[in-house]
Amino acid sequence: MTGEASKAQDIFQDTVREAAFLAANGEPPADRYWFFREARWRCLDVIARGVQPEHGANESTEVSPRAPEQIEQLEPEQLAIWISAAPEPQRSALALYYLDEFNYREMMSVLGLKLTELSRAIASGRREFQAWLNATVPAAASE
Amino acid sequence: MKRLARGLRTLADCAPIANAKAPDRRMRTAVSRAKRTEDFAAQQSFDRAVAKLVQATPVSSEIQEWFANERMAEGAKRSWKKTALHPAILAIGIALAVIAVVAWIKFDEQMHAFPGMATAKKLLNVAAMTRPSEFEPMQTEAGTLNDLFFMKYRLEHYDVPPEFAQQRTIGVRVFDDDEAGQVAQISLAEKRMQLFLFPARRDSKSGKPDEFEGWRYIEQEGWTGAVQAHKGVLFMAAVRGPKKDLAPYLATKPQSR
Repeated sequence: MTGEASKAQDIFQDTVREAAFLAANGEPPADRYWFFREARWRCLDVIARGVQPEHGANESTEVSPRAPEQIEQLEPEQLAIWISAAPEPQRSALALYYLDEFNYREMMSVLGLKLTELSRAIASGRREFQAWLNATVPAAASE
Repeated sequence: MKRLARGLRTLADCAPIANAKAPDRRMRTAVSRAKRTEDFAAQQSFDRAVAKLVQATPVSSEIQEWFANERMAEGAKRSWKKTALHPAILAIGIALAVIAVVAWIKFDEQMHAFPGMATAKKLLNVAAMTRPSEFEPMQTEAGTLNDLFFMKYRLEHYDVPPEFAQQRTIGVRVFDDDEAGQVAQISLAEKRMQLFLFPARRDSKSGKPDEFEGWRYIEQEGWTGAVQAHKGVLFMAAVRGPKKDLAPYLATKPQSR
């Protein structure tokens, strides 16, 4: 979400601290989704205060059958930076989707999105990431 | 996935990455149909590769320590007591209770409603506002006044029921009311009770008076009335106080009118 491990760590700790504070006041978080909602809002807050990426019309292309080979050549940080540069709510949708912890109903609930919005965010994210992959890892794409 | 219907394509775009069971039938249908297309296989391979890369993201040792006990992130389950005492639940509960009480009162009113109840309630107000000086002094037994009403005012069947016939009167008056018609009002010495006689409401089609069986109670602004219908005339005994002040009179075995 933030594209920076140190910021993410701070947000994680603040979120857990908030949960502990609430628990101490007799109002502990009702479910695990609370942590993700809270962390997401904190991320968005931190991002809003930082340097904003330029959101232009990203190139997109259909997902390639050879994408797994391209992705294998990436570092996790590169993916994190790409996702953190995506516009909201696509950024949050992709982050939650690829955590592979939630089904679509849970993601709609955490993100407050309709199914069509969630679907559009993920599908266009895939195509744009594929276009970026083709530009970043062209050798694998052209093989 | 262009061959998939739009709704199914929307769902297939959010299909589970791992071979986890789809959360509902719609998603299972979408995945099942999408599997027949080549695009979906490419999408799943793509998603699995990205998810694998995400899983490979290094996590600092500090954060790993926080997750020593994974149950921490499950959240706390509220006890039913705590849930019940939540302000929102409490407010809804109170609102439902108020609605239930109002509904019960309305139902109870309907159950005890009788023809002429509105007029009887209006006359309870008259009882509360009538001053002793407005009565024509009359010291006799209430049961003997039917002759007076018939001879002087041509009021037929204005009979005081046997339960109150032996009561001593201190005054009487007859007046016209817009709703009730000709009303006979009797003031008694006992408990400053008042008796009313007035015509029963008549059915607009048949012209017959609407009558009912037995005594019916009404209460209004500290006054209680016991109403009975007889031969097209309603009788009401009114007293300032609760129902129990009238009950002993009605419990006495009356002689027939």
